[in-house]
Amino acid sequence: MTDGLERASGNDVLIEVRGLDKAFGDLQVLRGIDLDVKRGEVVVIIGPSGSGKSTFLRCLNRLEDPSAGTVRIGGVEITGHGVNLPQMRSRVGMVFQQFNLFPHMTALENVMEGPRTVLRLSRGDAERRARALLDKVGLSEKAGSKPANLSGGQQQRVAIARALAMNPDAMLFDEVTSALDPELVGEVLTVMRELADEGMTMVIVTHEMSFAQRVADWVVFLDDGVIVEEGRPERIFHRARQERTRQFLDQLHWDAELA
Amino acid sequence: MGYQWHFEVVVESLDVLLGGLAWTVALSLLSMAASLLLGLVVSFARLSPWRPLRGVATVYTDFLRGTPLLVQILWVYYSLPILTGVVFSPFVSAAIALTLNLSAFVSEVYRAGILSIARAQREAALALGMTTWQAMRRVILPQSIRRVLPPLGSIWVSLFKDTAIVSVIAVPELMYRGKVLSIETYRPLEIYTAVALIYFIVTYPQARGVDWLFERARVRG
Repeated sequence: MTDGLERASGNDVLIEVRGLDKAFGDLQVLRGIDLDVKRGEVVVIIGPSGSGKSTFLRCLNRLEDPSAGTVRIGGVEITGHGVNLPQMRSRVGMVFQQFNLFPHMTALENVMEGPRTVLRLSRGDAERRARALLDKVGLSEKAGSKPANLSGGQQQRVAIARALAMNPDAMLFDEVTSALDPELVGEVLTVMRELADEGMTMVIVTHEMSFAQRVADWVVFLDDGVIVEEGRPERIFHRARQERTRQFLDQLHWDAELA
Repeated sequence: MGYQWHFEVVVESLDVLLGGLAWTVALSLLSMAASLLLGLVVSFARLSPWRPLRGVATVYTDFLRGTPLLVQILWVYYSLPILTGVVFSPFVSAAIALTLNLSAFVSEVYRAGILSIARAQREAALALGMTTWQAMRRVILPQSIRRVLPPLGSIWVSLFKDTAIVSVIAVPELMYRGKVLSIETYRPLEIYTAVALIYFIVTYPQARGVDWLFERARVRG
């Protein structure tokens, strides 16, 4: 790569993936994935449906167990036996496509739940933290609402606040706008962009290509379980080297002018 | 028919029958409470990732659901003491048999309730850093309770009536006392009619309450 679009240098790798394989029975979903995510970096993973993007993300916090390979977070290997999974997961936030808020709790209680149950914060401390985060995602006035009474966009912002309440080292976003009505996508992407600007380490699986181009430090194109190509967003989106990458981007009919 | 009704027999023995009702209520409450706890343990065993534990729990529930309650009661009262050398009173034997029997049904209700809470809820809890147990206690069980309440209510109403069967081992509950009174007074028609009415008067409002629980669950989804 000599096009002046090199990745920011520095050795502060937060998430290091080596030789990651994942199979469900006979179905090989991921094959030999190597990837570094540096501290403060936003890595966006794009690719066709069924290419293994979500599975890859779920291997990073062990919601899926990799079949082979290693994942290190902050230098600590989290693959294999004997890993303290709850402790590891408390350092890595995750936001889901279907929000997955706890329906029996209010927005505030959802955000307080991690700090209370996992971090064992006092009620007062947890509530202060939760209210600050609801304010950050613009939902102070919805603190007492149950998820059923919130729009999809509001629910997803609460879900982001819930993950942030653990003060994670990194955040994983699994197609977090795919289940939203088009007019609600923007409010969620705005919150994510603010997070990125604050220096949060983020790994994002998304189909929002204009968002990816604006926010990503590094773009990974995944197809059929392998990394076909990775690079700076300008290069991937405008000067992809691989035919498969170009085909995928052309098919999306995404409009660069919207970016 | 020229039958002469003598309901004064019932009036005279009402305190005996109501005393029996108190035993029926006590036995029902005790067996239900114990089976709610035991059923939880059994349902966790049936949902365990550890195959041998799951197998034992499955055999347990299948066996208790696949044999008559009457046999179970007689077995606990007459056979268990031979095996263990420990003799329980009729009331305790009845409570043990009913608890074992109910726990099999209750555990199935729990299991269905837990499984009906989507995998996604569990994953959201685990992703926050909760342990499996914390996820169960904080996220899965509170949501399951709403779903299991109506079927547990049905089990309760059935139990309340089914306790009559323990009269075979002379627990002094409503049915047994009715049986004794009908022999003593030679008035089985009046006495058994009264016994049936007492069961109905106590059971009917509860059955309606359970209907209401089902209706509410249906409306709220």
